[in-house]
Amino acid sequence: MNYPTWDVPLIGSVWVVGAIAIFHVMISHFAVGGGLYLALAERKAVREQRTDWLEVIRKHSKFFLILTGVFGAVSGVGIWFSIGLASPESTSALIHNFVFGWAMEWCFFLVEIATAGVYYYTWHRVDARTHQRLGWIYAISSYGTLVLINGILSFMLTPGDRWLAAAGTGTEPAYFWSAFFNPTFWPSLALRTLVCCSLAGVWALVTASRLEEHLGELKAEVIRWSVRWLIPSFFLMPLAVLWYWSEVPENSRHLIQAGVSTIGSGLFTQVTRATLVTAMTSATILAIAYFLAWRNPRDFHLGHAVAVVFLALAATGSTEHAREMIRKPFTIGQYMYSDGVRRLQVAELNRVGYTTASPWNHSLDVGQLMFRGQCLNCHTLDGYRSIRRLLNGRDRKGIANMLAILHDQPKTSPYKNFMPPLAGTPAEMDALANYLNHLANEQQAVAGVSRGATHP
Amino acid sequence: MATSSYPAPESPLRSVYRWADERLGLADLAAFAAHKRVPQHAHSFWYYWGGISLLFFVVQLLTGILLLVYYRPGKEAFESVRQITYDNDFGWLIRSAHSWSANLMVFALFVHLFSVLFMKAYRKPREFGWWSGLGLLSLVMLFGFSGYLLPMDQLAYFATKVGLQIPGMIPGISGMVEDLVRGGPQVGEATVQRFFALHVVILPLVFLPLLGFHLYLVQKHGNAVPPGEARKPAAERRTIPFFPNFLAQDLAMWLIALNVVTILATLFPWDLGKMADPLAPAPLGIHPEWYFMSQFQLLKVVGVIVPGFGGEIAGMGLFGAATLFLAAIPLIDPDSRFGRRAKIAAWGGALVMIGMIVLTVWGYAAL
Amino acid sequence: MSEASTSGNAVPLETPRRRDLLQAGMGAVALAYLGALGYPVYRYLATPAVRSRLEGQITSVAIAEKSLPAAGAATMFLFGTRPAMLIHHADGSWVAFDAVCTHLGCTVGFEPQNKRIFCPCHGGAYDMKTGDILGGPPPRALKAFKVEVSDGHVIVSRA
Repeated sequence: MNYPTWDVPLIGSVWVVGAIAIFHVMISHFAVGGGLYLALAERKAVREQRTDWLEVIRKHSKFFLILTGVFGAVSGVGIWFSIGLASPESTSALIHNFVFGWAMEWCFFLVEIATAGVYYYTWHRVDARTHQRLGWIYAISSYGTLVLINGILSFMLTPGDRWLAAAGTGTEPAYFWSAFFNPTFWPSLALRTLVCCSLAGVWALVTASRLEEHLGELKAEVIRWSVRWLIPSFFLMPLAVLWYWSEVPENSRHLIQAGVSTIGSGLFTQVTRATLVTAMTSATILAIAYFLAWRNPRDFHLGHAVAVVFLALAATGSTEHAREMIRKPFTIGQYMYSDGVRRLQVAELNRVGYTTASPWNHSLDVGQLMFRGQCLNCHTLDGYRSIRRLLNGRDRKGIANMLAILHDQPKTSPYKNFMPPLAGTPAEMDALANYLNHLANEQQAVAGVSRGATHP
Repeated sequence: MATSSYPAPESPLRSVYRWADERLGLADLAAFAAHKRVPQHAHSFWYYWGGISLLFFVVQLLTGILLLVYYRPGKEAFESVRQITYDNDFGWLIRSAHSWSANLMVFALFVHLFSVLFMKAYRKPREFGWWSGLGLLSLVMLFGFSGYLLPMDQLAYFATKVGLQIPGMIPGISGMVEDLVRGGPQVGEATVQRFFALHVVILPLVFLPLLGFHLYLVQKHGNAVPPGEARKPAAERRTIPFFPNFLAQDLAMWLIALNVVTILATLFPWDLGKMADPLAPAPLGIHPEWYFMSQFQLLKVVGVIVPGFGGEIAGMGLFGAATLFLAAIPLIDPDSRFGRRAKIAAWGGALVMIGMIVLTVWGYAAL
Repeated sequence: MSEASTSGNAVPLETPRRRDLLQAGMGAVALAYLGALGYPVYRYLATPAVRSRLEGQITSVAIAEKSLPAAGAATMFLFGTRPAMLIHHADGSWVAFDAVCTHLGCTVGFEPQNKRIFCPCHGGAYDMKTGDILGGPPPRALKAFKVEVSDGHVIVSRA
């Protein structure tokens, strides 16, 4: 309650972060895998003395530089801006623990971005060996950024017992390395490395598909060489997923099953569906890669390549979405809830009150403060996870019952697996119930009538 | 001319193929497929839409059969759909895929219809292809109308009620609508039962042979080349082999279409409303599915201009005239001359298309 | 019509060995695809069989004395894989219900103060003695189990 709330109507602040992050993942994983692709492709071309290949690689490196240097870097900064606004408490907690990690990441990133530019502008201006070395410097430094960010991201799902034991004592940063090499660090790194390789192949198909018709032979070769970058994923991805799965907390594993038999609203069934989209789109990418790119490389057009990119976007998007979702109800596993409340704080807040320390205590109604602090983080009024829709016609008493369940978290509560406990004194709960009643029943929204699709 | 490379001899797959070939004559089929060529030009993209519609139909067929396993018409209609949507493992997925691909199929068919129209692919000798296609589209609309009632929730109930009022207004027919279509004075169990029979037995029984006929004609006459392309000298025209090149492209389109269905069905599954209750007030802004919206709006607009009974007749007359015009297009513009008749067909078709789009958008804006 | 060479399969990259490998790859892709489509279909068709198998395995559950609820309270237990509820009424009678709401499958809870069993998801309410619907969206009553009280423990079995 120390920070203002970022109220984004309809999509919610979560989806501002989500959209930027998914876009960034698409580009940044390409930046890592593509670095390796350029280095290996150039090595092959130089060894086999293929000047026509070198020209293709040069063109690809221009596309690569623009895409990663502009969109990758900008969206990366965009993540910082948006998470700082959307979840200030979690961002602050992460910075307190990992400031050294991010400093290292920044060094790698500087080297990476500088080398990318140098690599492109020194084509045919330095000797082949030096140029290849530049490629390798780029590949290694960009992989370094992946390793570092992966440590922090996987920490958020599984902080590890040692760090959790120290959490709240003020000595957390002393456990930097155990937090960094947390239980999901290695499986997650394996998964991301495979994704990087696949995306390097997918994006390379875009360049290759644009080669002119008279270069048919060359086009066929480049396309087939690029398709090979999908092969490691094909064989190893299922294993990596199983490995990752075995390290994920039990509660998170449970969420995948939730949506198999129902789409009942408010039951958090999206994770299952996101996983299905990942499976389907990945299988399709492989099918297109084989049947269209490998079998008929000359007929592989830009349209196909763009379709594959979109499929890859859907696959990474839904995977990242599922990964974020299985962390519920936490943003930092077992430590901080998705509304920014620390687990160890809850009892204290229930006693002294959630809103008492708030700087807006005197200017806003307590119910609204509770709503902004503990609901708006994940819900919106009428759009994504709409509060009005989910309250589902409950009256004042029904709302109070519901809030009691969220507060007490009895064994039968269907929500406690994905919603944080509602913190606050009985008076605050009452004020929140009044406020929600006002939103849902007094300020009547226009209800839609189409049967149509539910919200994801 | 380069053809596809066949697999090396004597792999296990190959010997199975040879075994089957000797008995079924597959080689003739393969030779035929290799011989068949598809023209390629700036407008080739539109050739895929027939195939895309076909894929959606196959999805309809398969998911429909799966829904049939648990659906119970009559009294328990709503309860059985509730079980499918909220109880059964992946039932929601099957039902959502069925609903989404139905909508996508209608959309793809409209694209197919107008692309054939503007590429003048209805001209001699393809008239029957055009007519059978129009017949298929009408059947699909009936599929949509009858299928919409089957869940028997509030929206299904009222949409059907309103939909049946339109033919019910024509004097002389209203009694027949009640006797034959609605099965009573109100939409109810009897209506669901007969709509079910229509949706899963009668319509498929008519649709499948007509589809076979349509595909046979497509096969017989091959892809039509648009007039602009046909005027080019032969040396500038290009074709690609149907097998494997065009088929591979077709396959790509099918995969994309299948993914669109899956993504929509998983991310935006179809919910079920409250159980139909004839005594409950009709939900606000009740309206038909989008593919009936233009007709619905046409009736509304004409009804305002010509009040009362005549309005209904005038509206339906206008709709009938547009349909008749579409059906008559191959007769209006029968061959490859460029003249007044070709212009009438093209501009008339454009008028129908723009009219439909404008009325649909208008209909939604006026809700 | 000219036969412009647009077919592009004469790429000399396919040696016989590689071709075998490719065919295996193609088979694997096709299998993966069929699996992705077939798995939900199988689960969909198998639902009643799997459910009845799971339910059939368990015909009764014994609840030990120490976990029995006091009069006027209820306890949750698992009947096979499904959550169930044993209520010890203030008048001394015992009842047990399947605790899955018949509406959308949430777990229901006992509310002695309101004399009802209540589903928090959409406000379905059931009679606390018979499981009949009192209000809200549920389409059917809760399924009741047979309860036998013998010295010290309670046996809940399929009615």
